[in-house]
Amino acid sequence: MIVIISDDSRGNWGQTLEEAILHIGVQVIRFSADTLQIKPCTACNCCSGKTFGRCIIQDDMQLLFPEIVVCHALVLVSPVIFGNVSHHIKKVMDRMAALGDPRYRVRDGEMVKGMSRQGMTYFMVGIGDDLNEAEHSAFLSLHQENRKIMSVKGQTFILDSRMDKVSLNNIVQEIIHE
Amino acid sequence: MNKSDVMLLCVSPRHKGTSAMLLERIRVVTGGKLFFLPQKGNLDELVVSMQEAGTIIISGPCYINTYPARMLELLETASLTGKFSGQKLYGIINGGMPYIHTHQHGLICLQLFAEQNHLLWQGGFVLGVGAMLDGKPLEKHMNRRTVVPAFNKFIQNISEGIQSPDSLYIKAQSPPGKLTTRIFAKFLTFLVEKNLKKYGQDPEAPNYYLRKQDDGKQNGSR
Repeated sequence: MIVIISDDSRGNWGQTLEEAILHIGVQVIRFSADTLQIKPCTACNCCSGKTFGRCIIQDDMQLLFPEIVVCHALVLVSPVIFGNVSHHIKKVMDRMAALGDPRYRVRDGEMVKGMSRQGMTYFMVGIGDDLNEAEHSAFLSLHQENRKIMSVKGQTFILDSRMDKVSLNNIVQEIIHE
Repeated sequence: MNKSDVMLLCVSPRHKGTSAMLLERIRVVTGGKLFFLPQKGNLDELVVSMQEAGTIIISGPCYINTYPARMLELLETASLTGKFSGQKLYGIINGGMPYIHTHQHGLICLQLFAEQNHLLWQGGFVLGVGAMLDGKPLEKHMNRRTVVPAFNKFIQNISEGIQSPDSLYIKAQSPPGKLTTRIFAKFLTFLVEKNLKKYGQDPEAPNYYLRKQDDGKQNGSR
């Protein structure tokens, strides 16, 4: 199953992507992060200690955890803001620490971490019109670092509102076949 | 630099952690007022303080390769409000990993915010292995011999109101070699597992949310 978590406050690309995936008969579930009540991570470290793997903050993130932990592909859809994701999407990313493996491993000569359940692919779709080179490259590098530290596979895409259906379908194919 | 219009903003949810410690170290030299990013509620008041400052120094932890969500919310709110006019902006980001590239995105994001909102980006400081300090003085840092003078130079640059180059923190923190990396990873994993066992947790157990679903399925099939 594919889980899409989108910030739809500046457009409906999450829904467009969901419809395109559903159209080819793949199971998908979508959440709008901007309409959910998700509190910021407080760095209490419970999820890597006392309540290992469980976040103690009781809010709508508790609806997302059971879906993310079993999904084959997680797709985050966010407007590109200062080369970053929006705060709505970043809240989800920060809280996902509860699904991570807090132990360290070495890959390509560097320390990294991993997810508690291996095999999830992780996609980031950034939305932004007329982004400059610095914003573009910052967004790509953020997701590259995310994949590295989480030891997951995946891809980053950056779309603008002039995106045509063919290009969207190409992205859907990449997500499904990764 | 006018000492009275220096704003030192800690964007960590922890008020006694490394982010706050670094700002206190700066405040000794530059003066100014220390603010903490509220973790809930409206951010308008804080944005007004940013608009009124002459120099803003933001210090925060690195969560998944950049600043935490609440900090991004502050930047988004500040950008919508606008009204910046050449305020000098410095940034600090500290994280657990001993690599610059793991945390550097935070400063890039801050620079883009400054450029798009009429603030003057003055550079920043990336501190690797900052989380391990847990608020203890910089003199306890594993690379203290190079990091302490580099950070002091960074403070001097702020104090003089000049730009601080990235080379300052890059040169002070070489990535550990292959053997050190392996030893470090094993040591940190030992500490993580020791902590989990202290709470009666099994490091090898499937994630809580996965177990909960499996339990639910088993109960449903009975």
